[in-house]
Order: sequence, then C-alpha cells, then structure tokens
Amino acid sequence: MPEATLRTVSDPGRAGPASRSSRLAPVHWLALIFLAAALGFAAVAWATGNGFYLRLATEALIFAGLAMSVDLLLGYTGLLSLGQALYFGLGAYVSALVLRDVAPSFWLAMAAALLAGGVAGLIGGVIANRVKGVYFALITFGLAQVAAKTVYNTRALGASDGLIGIPQIQVGFGPFSLDTADPLSFFLLVLGLTVVAYAGLSYLMDAPFGRTLAAIRANEKRVPFLGFNAWRYKLAVYVLAACVAALAGALYPMLRGFVSPELMFFETSGNAVITVIVGGVGTLVGPVVGSLLLTALRSVVGSWTEHHLIVVGVIFMLSVIFLRKGLVGALLARLSRRGEQGRATP
Amino acid sequence: MADLIDYLQFVLAPQALNGLSLGVAVVLMALGLTIIFGLLDVINMAHGEFYAVGAFLALTLAGLGVGFWALLVLVPLLMLPIGWLAERWLIARVFHSRDRHILTLLLTFGLGMIMEDLLKLVYGPNTQRPENPIEGGTEILGMFLPNYRLFLIGFGLALIAAVWLVVFRTGLGAMVRAAAFDKDMASSLGVPVRRVYAGTFAFGVALAGLSGVLLAPIYSVFPTMGRDFILMAFTVVIVGGMGSIQGAVVAGLLLTQVQALSSLYISPVWSDPLVFGIMVLVLMVRPQGLFGRLGHA
Repeated sequence: MPEATLRTVSDPGRAGPASRSSRLAPVHWLALIFLAAALGFAAVAWATGNGFYLRLATEALIFAGLAMSVDLLLGYTGLLSLGQALYFGLGAYVSALVLRDVAPSFWLAMAAALLAGGVAGLIGGVIANRVKGVYFALITFGLAQVAAKTVYNTRALGASDGLIGIPQIQVGFGPFSLDTADPLSFFLLVLGLTVVAYAGLSYLMDAPFGRTLAAIRANEKRVPFLGFNAWRYKLAVYVLAACVAALAGALYPMLRGFVSPELMFFETSGNAVITVIVGGVGTLVGPVVGSLLLTALRSVVGSWTEHHLIVVGVIFMLSVIFLRKGLVGALLARLSRRGEQGRATP
Repeated sequence: MADLIDYLQFVLAPQALNGLSLGVAVVLMALGLTIIFGLLDVINMAHGEFYAVGAFLALTLAGLGVGFWALLVLVPLLMLPIGWLAERWLIARVFHSRDRHILTLLLTFGLGMIMEDLLKLVYGPNTQRPENPIEGGTEILGMFLPNYRLFLIGFGLALIAAVWLVVFRTGLGAMVRAAAFDKDMASSLGVPVRRVYAGTFAFGVALAGLSGVLLAPIYSVFPTMGRDFILMAFTVVIVGGMGSIQGAVVAGLLLTQVQALSSLYISPVWSDPLVFGIMVLVLMVRPQGLFGRLGHA
C-alpha cells in the first residue's frame, strides 16, 4: 500500500538555504503580522470592554494548540490522527482535577498535564505506530473512542456531566501575577504561550529532528538507509504532539471553569483536522489562523442560523480539493510568486 | 440442569436473537463500507449519513403514501444516483493524488457533516418513529419474538447472500474483483474501470440506504442516527479485514453477539469501550483483519 501522506508547503514558504541565514522565512513574517493583529484586536476589545469576544478568541487559541499538534503529525510526518482529542481532553481533565482538588496553581496544573500527556502519548504512540496509513488513522480514532467512552461512563470523573466548579486562579510569574478571571490578561497569557509554542515547534521542525520527519513523510522506506530509525522518530513526534495537545487542553478549564467528555469526542478531533486543512497543512501558523477564522465564522454564521456545519463543511471540502496547502499555503505561494516577478523585472 | 435450560431459553437465547437482528443490520452497513474500501481504497466516513438519508427518504415517501414493500425497492434506486455523483464529483477528483487515502477520507468526512446538517435543516432535529410495517409477534420455543425482527433477520440474510452471489458469481462481480486486484490490467482487458468504481460506490451507498429503510421501524429516525451505528460498522470492517466480504459477515455477527451477550454480565454502557477495545487490539495484532481483501482472496 502506498504511503499515505499530505504534501505540505514546500520551499517558497519555509526552510531551504534562506532559513539558515538571518532573514526570517515568509511564514514567520506571516506569524508576526498575525501576532500584531491579535494584539490590535486585544487592544480594541479591551478599550470597548468586550470580554465576550476576548474569551472567544482565547478559546480559539486554545483549540489552535490542539490543531498545531495535529499539524505536527499530518503536515510534518504525514500521519493522520483522528483521535488527538484524547490528549487534549486528558490535559483538560488532569488540569481540572489538580486545580479543584490539589492546589490552585497554574504551573502545577500545566506540569501535571504535560506529564500525563507524555505518558499517555508514549503508550498511545507505541500502539498506534504499529500500523501505517489509514490503519494509523483508524487506530488513533479507536483509542480516543475507548478513552472518551470510559470517561463518559466513570462516575468519579463526573460521567456525562463532566467536572464543574473549577476555581479561577492567579498565575504567578515571580513578582508579577495575573488573574485568569480577567479576559484580557488570560487572552494575553494564552497568546504568549501560543507564540512560544509556535516558535519552539518551528525551530524544532527546521532542526535535524524536523528534517528527519520530512524525510519520513516523503519516503519512509528510504529513511533507514540514511541511518535513521523511522519508528523512533514517529514515536517521538507522536509523544511531542500529545504533550502539545495536553498543554492546550490544560488551559481549557481555566477559561471555562468546567470540562466535559465532549472534549474527547470525535467532534473535537475532527474539528482539529478541519482547522489544519483549512488553515494550512505543515505551516504551524496555519492551524492558528484556521482556528481563529473558523471560530469567527461559527460565531457570525451561528448568529443567524444554527446550521453552521453546512458552511464549515463546504469550506472544508473546497480546501481539500482546491487549496491543498490551506489558506496560509495559498497566501505564501502568491507572495513568493510576486517576489520572483519583482526580481525578474527590476 | 433445569435451571441451566431455563437460563439458556429465557436469558441467553432472546439476547442472542436480539443480537442477531442487530448483527444482520450491521453486516448490511459493513458490506457497503468494505466493498467500497476493497475496490476504491476509500474509507467512506459519510456512510452513516447515507444510511440516515435512506431512512429519511423512506419516511418522506411513506408520508406520500408509498407502501413499505415499494420502499425497499424505491429507496435504494433513489440512492444510486446520489452515490454515483458523490464518486464522480468528489472521490474521482482526488483519486490519482498520492495521498488519496487521506484526501478521500477527509472529503467523505466533510460530505457526511454537510449531509447531517442538511437533514437537520429539512426535517428538524427531533426523533421520528415510522409505523411498524409488520405488526404482531410469534412464539418460538416459548420465546416471544416481534415479527418485524424475524423478517429483518430473514430478509437481511437473503440480501447478504444476494450480494455474495453478485460479487462472486456474476460477470459484473468478476469485473469488480478484477478492478480491485489490478486496475490497470483490468482496464487494458476492457473493464470500464471508471464506471465500475462509480457503480460500486453507488451500490455501497444504496446498501446503506436500504439498511436505513429496514432499521427505521426499530431504531427510529433522527439526523444523527448514522453516528452510533457507523462506529460499529467500522469496527466490524476492521476486525473482518478491510475489503473482505466474508470478513464483514463473520465479524458482524460475532461482534454483535459479543455486544449482546456481554450486556448480560456488564453494564451495557461498557459494551462500546469493549467493542472499540477489540478494534484497537485487532489493529495492533493483525491490522489486515481476519480475512483477506476483495480480489485478493
């Protein structure tokens, strides 16, 4: 069976010799523009006292973290995970339990979610990486279903109601501290974490680790001939993706004050895949853009009809057929074409 | 000893028969899925929604005065062009791409999402229950069985046999198996592979629609009705071997028995994790499933 992979944004956007120099790759410029827009949005929302939209944007960023973890697997390694919500939900439940029952500490909750995500990712990765292609997609799907149904049936975890009454907390940074109850400060915190995640993961994907993943995506059979153990790299990226998803999930109860089994259901995993495809596979900034766009779309369309799934579904299918690299990929391709024309006609 | 016979007769046997009627229905769904995968390599994520569309079509036509027996013919016939167009417009578009496994999975996922919301838009989110077309029940060995369930078992088994006959004993089926084995060779030998693809997809979709008609009187009709059912059908296809017809039948009957009988001993809410656990285990240990795929056996 041929290797099932998705092509990602190739040379125009990222990597290549240019990334070795001090010049920022276009995709990073896009991320910076995006960051400026997010800060501008925060300023406007704060000035107009609009907490609702700040909270909505925060939620979009949290789900962007989940989408980034899907992108690590799909865009960089060519593995389609249909069960990434398992780790997102795990992070959310662990964080909620720590905050409610252990100590209202942000750092403790994040550390516990990271640990849980890493351990679960290791177990899930060993299981899922036994198979390839569509079987990988189905096994991740099955794993998430088992976990979600188990949580759904477990009374100690609140069963179908989930856990409620998660306290709002102070996040301490040395002498400073920040209140998760304040929409603006929590938005800025999540935005900061998203930037850190983007920068760190982009760096890692340009490092030899990421290049090896790209080799696996391009042709897994040849990777062993170059002296690399493909299985070990696939396991490593799976654990990494699980940790990213768990950390994103850990932020959810801080925002909403509750967690529910829906966070682990297939809808959540499926939405993350939609977000990555619409935003841009293999760009890392694409999932963030996609998440914010889709959240905005759902809220706008949702204000005049409850049938927003039709709109989202059509956009998603059009992206699959026509925009193989998503919105960000299309934008980058256009930019690089313009750049080449500029150079050709001085 | 008498206790044991009582237990077999009044506890195990009714549960096993319930499981059998569910099993026949699941096999019908799984057959469509597995034939589509065996030939086109497509994981049809919209299969559950095609099943729901079939059930709603039956509901609408019944409202217009069409009888149940006519529905059994009419609904699959109406589903055929839907499936044909879905294959021509969506699947065929990305079929020659290197990542067609993932792309077709994503496309059918999106299609299912749209169809489910369209059903909600047209029919509303509420549950509807069509009339039972075959009233009454029959007593067999001291057990009371609804006639409709007996009909479902009999009709379903006949249908499964018919599908088997078509695939393995007709020229049409030979074309399908040839295209599944080696599409380039089949094409050069004069098999119209593109039309076989579209036709097979349409056939699978029609089977899903027919399952919708058959199950509507038992499980009632609502826009998300495909979701729970499709998970079971997927599990069956995986355990039986993706693309294997006998695998779908064996695994379908086996897994529904596991589900039905296990619910005697553990709370029924745990039967889902159990079935999915089996699916994960099979994928780990024997990802090709119990039987070989279509055209390769």
